[in-house]
Amino acid sequence: MTDRPLGGLDAVERGPLPSESGATSSFVSIEGESDHPSVAALRARFGSAIQRHRVSAGDQTVVWIDAAKSLEILTWLKDDPGQKYDMMSDVTGVDYGNGRPVEVVYQMFSTTHKRELRLRCPLPLDALEIDSVAGLWHSANWLEREVYDLFGVTFKGHPDLRRILMPQDYAEGHPLRKDFPLRGRFSRAEQTRRALAQDVERFYGAQELVEGGEPQQVFARPARDSGAEG
Amino acid sequence: MGLGDLLPGGGTQKSEGGLGMFGASSPTFLTTKIDFVINWGRRNSLWPMPFGTACCAIEMMAAAASNFDLARFGMERMSFSPRQADVLICAGRVPYKLAPVLRRIWDQMPQPKWCVSMGACASSGGVFDVYSMVQGIDTIVPVDVYVPGCPPRPEGLIYGLMMIQEKIREESLSRHFEHRAEDPALVAQAKANETEIVGLTGPFGNSTLQEKRSDGAALSPDE
Repeated sequence: MTDRPLGGLDAVERGPLPSESGATSSFVSIEGESDHPSVAALRARFGSAIQRHRVSAGDQTVVWIDAAKSLEILTWLKDDPGQKYDMMSDVTGVDYGNGRPVEVVYQMFSTTHKRELRLRCPLPLDALEIDSVAGLWHSANWLEREVYDLFGVTFKGHPDLRRILMPQDYAEGHPLRKDFPLRGRFSRAEQTRRALAQDVERFYGAQELVEGGEPQQVFARPARDSGAEG
Repeated sequence: MGLGDLLPGGGTQKSEGGLGMFGASSPTFLTTKIDFVINWGRRNSLWPMPFGTACCAIEMMAAAASNFDLARFGMERMSFSPRQADVLICAGRVPYKLAPVLRRIWDQMPQPKWCVSMGACASSGGVFDVYSMVQGIDTIVPVDVYVPGCPPRPEGLIYGLMMIQEKIREESLSRHFEHRAEDPALVAQAKANETEIVGLTGPFGNSTLQEKRSDGAALSPDE
């Protein structure tokens, strides 16, 4: 494999990598030095918890880290004077399918040092759990809810981990997972019945829109749905 | 002197004829004229309830703006309150999460009411043949006119509304209730039954075929 990032039409000409190859990722990994100052600092401080890194899309440095140490690493990246990644632009997820790990992606920006950094935490499908960073960046609160909703990743320590896009009592699983059928798991008739059976006021309460308003305490899931969650 | 005195053979003194105050010669004359007057009033003062959820709503706004000027047809006032509206214009895609909202808005509109399904997504789900999208709002509410297009041009919406006006012209008070009455027990229920929904929402065109039970039974996520 080449050690330089694919640019231009190279990736198009090469075509997609076979999805059944079983590789943990189709990305080229670079084990050498990086221009990005945070990569060397991360390797110096956390050693083997930093798996590999690469440069993506020209100038975006991506670092793969151990999910078990993610909270420690992210806390350090936010608080260390040499890093100061004080803005969490995005938390998202990727499911590569074929039993490969789901990756949680953190996109950060340091307004002090004017640097960007992307972290990726691979999570095996049978242990989709990672520490929440909602306590570090408030912006991560809803973003982690979105990842939980669509990928089923549980964020430990999240203050309010419930679905954010799909209906609260959605029982078909987590739609962006590769094993999720395009049209959902239920028939259209069943989906329509369930949709119309929603209690609309339950999800669109006015008191939640008031500043400082408490979330409604009505989201305790009925017992009949608790087992159907994917 | 009442209205009956102006009508041929009409007058209260003829009421012993058994056909009411206007005599045997024209039993339907008055109802026809009342139908005409009422339908004339209704079709020229339709107040739309805009339910715009996507790009079709932009075309709906254009239809209401000065170039196309929906006000020419008596639709001066876009009614953002369902209780003061006659026509529900569903412009755009409707996800399942929004389905009960659409249904409730329809239930809140007073009779007589009509519904325009504007655009491919509202009419059939369009390209969004996916887990989250209602495959045609006619599974949720009764639709009078479908406006095709992605999105339809303002002329298309205006033509659809003129078809609603034509439909109103044909309506009659004597047949109104059997045509338009809705069972109060069906409030907040799906418009179509399960067989109809499965039939209406099946994959079509070049949709990706997928394994899916269509008998209404729920698949468990492990299956």
